[in-house]
Amino acid sequence: MNRTVLIIGLLIVAVVVAILFMGLGKDPAHIESPLIGRPAPGFALKAVGSNETIDLTRYRGKPVVLNFWATWCVPCWDEHPVLTANAQMAGDRVQYLGVVFQDEESKIRDFLEQRGWAYPTLVDQAGKTAIAYGVGGVPETYFLDKNGVIVAKFAGPMSAEDIQKNLQKAMQ
Amino acid sequence: MIAFLLVLALQMKVPDAEQFVGKPQGTPLTGEQLNLKTQQVGALLRCPVCQGLSVSDSPSEMAVNMKGQVRELLSRGYTQEQILSYFERSYGQFVLLKPKFNGVAAAVWILPLLAVAIGVVIVVSKAKKLEAAPAGNRQPTTDNPSDDPYISRVRELVEKP
Repeated sequence: MNRTVLIIGLLIVAVVVAILFMGLGKDPAHIESPLIGRPAPGFALKAVGSNETIDLTRYRGKPVVLNFWATWCVPCWDEHPVLTANAQMAGDRVQYLGVVFQDEESKIRDFLEQRGWAYPTLVDQAGKTAIAYGVGGVPETYFLDKNGVIVAKFAGPMSAEDIQKNLQKAMQ
Repeated sequence: MIAFLLVLALQMKVPDAEQFVGKPQGTPLTGEQLNLKTQQVGALLRCPVCQGLSVSDSPSEMAVNMKGQVRELLSRGYTQEQILSYFERSYGQFVLLKPKFNGVAAAVWILPLLAVAIGVVIVVSKAKKLEAAPAGNRQPTTDNPSDDPYISRVRELVEKP
């Protein structure tokens, strides 16, 4: 009887240690998005450099790359040319959208005029859209399929390979 | 110009809590009650860009925005549970400073208690076995030698004429 009890006890300790060890192996900065597989929260935001309001539903029918960024975010400076080049390559097949939060429109316009823009950039007042998407920091990118469902999330600056890898999920 | 900006503002649409957690189920709060409840609900939410700080305690812009949204939802009559669900829907359980008692979180609490309980069972069963051991295997336990049956027997034999 004692041996059985001892084995059960050891098993429990092993399970607890395994759970804690799994937690240690995780990157604390990486937050798994519960929105994967769910419809993307809808929004209609003002586009920088124009008086147009862009509604996300406008792009239903093609994959969307939704990039949250800000001009004060240094990694976003490195990511910007990668996104611009990919957007130019994709043409009409994929819609790229930038959403800037915690920033000023004049600074965004200056940034884009200096570094170029290939797709609409929208202003997120009071960060409400970022909060609805669960943005924890910038840059952060969400990949939407043609039905407007979030299929992938990438936290941090993306390389061309990262974009293509995640875009493939959105194009399936 | 003002009319144009007004039209533009009306066209703008941000994701609303109603899409995700339904209509408000509480009473709209105002004044001091609203300030107090905003502070309380903000203290239950983790600031996603900080190191272990709540939304109420963090001065970061992200936390200020989240706190502003908590305040707005409370003023519209959303309950604490609805607001926490709304943020959890976007950020997952990570955003809750008091995680729910389910899944892996529950296992981490329950399993050590179970291990302690099993330890107690082992100790008790060992103690019972020692207690039940045959008397011949044990040393005399009494402090008074006159009470010991062995000593009494020896005494009897010595005192016999």
